[in-house]
Amino acid sequence: MDLLQGTLDMLVLKTLLLGPLHGYGIAKTIRVNSSEALDIEFGSLYPALKRLELKGWIAAKWDTSEFNRRAKYYRLTPAGRKQLQAEHSKWAGFVSAVGQIMGPVPEGGK
Amino acid sequence: MSLRMMGWWQRFKYLLPSYRRAQEQDMRAELESLRAMAEPGELGNMTRTAEEARAAWGWVWLEQLYRDVQYAFRTLRHNPGFTATAVLSLALGIGANTAIFSLIDAIALRWLPVRAPQELVQLKMQSPRRQGPPGDTFSYDIATAMAGRKDIFADACGFSGASFDVGPRGSVSGVQGVWVTGDYYETLGLTPALGRLLGRADDRKDAPLTAVIGYGYWERKFASSPDAVGQSLLVNGVPVTVVGVSPRGFIGANVGSVADITVAVAALPRLQPAFAPFLGPGNFWLSILARPKPGVAISRTEAHLNAVWRQLAEQVISPRWPAWQRKEEADSTFDLVPGGTGISYLRERFVRPLVVLLAVAGLVLLIACANVASLLLARATARQREISVRLAIGAGRGRIVRQLLTESALLSAIGAAMGICLACIGSRFLVATLYGSSEFPVTVDLTPNWHILGFASAVALATGMLFGLAPAFQSTAIGRSAVLKEDARMTRSRSRLLSSLVSAQVALSLLLLVGAGLFVRTLQNLLNVDPGFRREGVLVVDLDGQREGYEDARLTAFYSDLLDRVQRIPGVVSASISTHTPLSGWTWTEAVAPKGQPVPERDNAMFVGAGPNYFATMQTRLLAGREFDARDRGTANVAVVNQAFAERYFPGRNPLGEYVSATVTKPPSELQIVGVAQNAMKDSLRGTPRPTVYVAYFQRGSGSDSLEIRAAGSLSQIAAAIHKELQPSFPNTPVEVRALTAQVEQTLLEERLMAKLAGGFGALGLLLACVGLYGLLAYSVVRRTKEIGVRMALGAQRGAVLWMVARRALGLVAAGIVIGVPVSWLLARKVQAMLFGLTATDPGIVVTAVVLLSMAGLVAAYFPARRAARVDPTTALRHE
Repeated sequence: MDLLQGTLDMLVLKTLLLGPLHGYGIAKTIRVNSSEALDIEFGSLYPALKRLELKGWIAAKWDTSEFNRRAKYYRLTPAGRKQLQAEHSKWAGFVSAVGQIMGPVPEGGK
Repeated sequence: MSLRMMGWWQRFKYLLPSYRRAQEQDMRAELESLRAMAEPGELGNMTRTAEEARAAWGWVWLEQLYRDVQYAFRTLRHNPGFTATAVLSLALGIGANTAIFSLIDAIALRWLPVRAPQELVQLKMQSPRRQGPPGDTFSYDIATAMAGRKDIFADACGFSGASFDVGPRGSVSGVQGVWVTGDYYETLGLTPALGRLLGRADDRKDAPLTAVIGYGYWERKFASSPDAVGQSLLVNGVPVTVVGVSPRGFIGANVGSVADITVAVAALPRLQPAFAPFLGPGNFWLSILARPKPGVAISRTEAHLNAVWRQLAEQVISPRWPAWQRKEEADSTFDLVPGGTGISYLRERFVRPLVVLLAVAGLVLLIACANVASLLLARATARQREISVRLAIGAGRGRIVRQLLTESALLSAIGAAMGICLACIGSRFLVATLYGSSEFPVTVDLTPNWHILGFASAVALATGMLFGLAPAFQSTAIGRSAVLKEDARMTRSRSRLLSSLVSAQVALSLLLLVGAGLFVRTLQNLLNVDPGFRREGVLVVDLDGQREGYEDARLTAFYSDLLDRVQRIPGVVSASISTHTPLSGWTWTEAVAPKGQPVPERDNAMFVGAGPNYFATMQTRLLAGREFDARDRGTANVAVVNQAFAERYFPGRNPLGEYVSATVTKPPSELQIVGVAQNAMKDSLRGTPRPTVYVAYFQRGSGSDSLEIRAAGSLSQIAAAIHKELQPSFPNTPVEVRALTAQVEQTLLEERLMAKLAGGFGALGLLLACVGLYGLLAYSVVRRTKEIGVRMALGAQRGAVLWMVARRALGLVAAGIVIGVPVSWLLARKVQAMLFGLTATDPGIVVTAVVLLSMAGLVAAYFPARRAARVDPTTALRHE
């Protein structure tokens, strides 16, 4: 499934709401939580992380992983939390607007 | 710090190499750690991911630019011949333009360093009947009246440049200064560097004599000592108290001269008795600057001023003027023009010539651009393979164009940097040509400001685009299918482009040559004008006996004695005295008519008071009668008239013995004509001589006058002897002995400037065009080596090959001439007013320019043609 423009940033922020994660962990979490429907390419995810970090919405720190390996962990900053709230309500508005137009599945559709 | 700013800070930090290296290392480590966790290949192309992550910092364009600049530097360094030619042509072109622009800027565009200069206005007065430019000088009464009208102006002041003789008796030196009304510094809004500035109280008839000195003068003469305030300076032999130092950077509101000493106008009669009448209501000599009331529009201030002027006029116009003149003055209207750039006589004299020169320098720059463009085009051929390969492996065309443009921008940036250096030297040289040999140099502020840097950068950017765009697009305009193959169509279009560039250069240099011809001939024509006197061998000394305390009969006796002493100096052939010398800038006009006819109200003839031997000394021929001699003292008034006067008032008659009535004395006296002299130029070498009346010098006293001395032998030695003889009689004034030739030269400064620079630019343009032509021909001979070899193998003679190249050159030159001649006619008309003795479309000049260009074209063609004729058929055929 392809992602809508700008949705990736929101997904990353939402994922980090649960707790700090490294880059690979974020990709895996999104995949698992969407029941494998969203397979984020690492090639898009990683630059997005750098962008969010520059904007100050997430912060990074080297830490030791569950398998005792060093990895860089990203966590949500207070500004990122605020941003997520804004994105979330925007997203909800968008979904309900599109939903109103689309209504139930039309007849004849498979 | 806000988040946004922090983001920018992070990005900015990324520009620092050490920070960037750390970031790179951190990213590599992170990606490495992630790769270790994931399945092999799960994370995709890691290099590309890293590349895109770097883009997050937003500096990719800068990195590309950096790489382009680096690459461009390398290419330029590897082609030193190409780079030197291109940079030098651009530096000359940009430098010439910047030099001329910085002079225009200094004379006309810079704000004075005063408070809110943009608010200042200059007063001008337009008379309803008289044609011509509006008057910009006013009487002392008008200037003070304006300062008093606080309902119209917040402040207003009048001022005029002056020169003072400063120092104790026997060691005086000339110092430039300015006469100002009381509100001068208040109007400009200046604060003193030391002490106080002049105010209204200083501008009163009975006020103590005070002066403000300039910052530079304070540094030079008082070594910046705080004790300068309160000291007494001997100005024109009179003690004047220094009350303050004007702020640093302010050298007066007269642009072009430094006001080292500023004195109130009211002090003038005490410092310079001969000019005491300047304070009268009939003398218009002060420029007026004013600051309108805050918040009032200039148009409203102007309307207000014109509304009150009629009533004001009653009080300030000279009651001694005839009724018509009083009415004309009262009917005049004021114009308020921007005054924040100060006031300068240099403007009306030089701005027009300088603007024309800027246009001329622009043409030179265009030629230089065409040269660089052809160089780039020729080089594009050599680089075609490289560019094709890059296109073939997928480089975007835009990317390659950008890289080629970076190279031309770099060229023009280097050219501009060198050009600005050249301009700094060049503009100083230009300023020197503005004042010739006059005593006080023109001083203007030439330090590069944002006007000049902006101008140079804009010119450099425009030129970079101009010469860079065509070659860049041309060399990337290649079909992908034709990649890597020699594309014949493209070579053809390139050589067409090159040919038209060269023809355009020829056309441009034709314009330059025609311009050079017009201005050089104008100067020659003016130098060859017979002014009605022989200036060679004549020395001139200005005298001011009143300054030394002589009056009336004692003054006349003093001058008589000087004349006798000068005549005894060995080497002096003859000497005389007159009220003023020709082409000195001074003129004297009066109303005159033959006896019995009413004397007109307005001036209608020029007057000169001349002593015995005046005509012999000046070598002005007498056509009839006699000249003044020792008899012409006392009351029997006599006059010599010039030919123009005789023809106008005594047509077909002998004027000798006739009488004219003139207002020279009060009441008007009758002068008997005793001689007729040939016409002589009085105010300018241009134009026709006006009717002139010479009156006997010793029959009427005068104030400041001149001796003219004809000498045989070394002028400088005799000048020194005259100086030695006269100086002891003038303890309060430095005696200056000048050559009359230098004085005449002073009136030709604009023409000399134009002839010198237009001539120089013409030569430069011709040289650049020849380089362009040579380059193109040399390039085409190399390309056609094989063809030439075939021709020679088939029996073509050397002569035929030579002719083949020469014909090409002549063809290019002819195409340029065909375009250039009509354009030169159109453009030359715009400078007709600056020419003398020839029309803008003078065929002789166009023919000379065409011949010169064709000859230069053949010279440029000679070397490539000789190389073509030396082609060895066997080598040429084997070459490939």
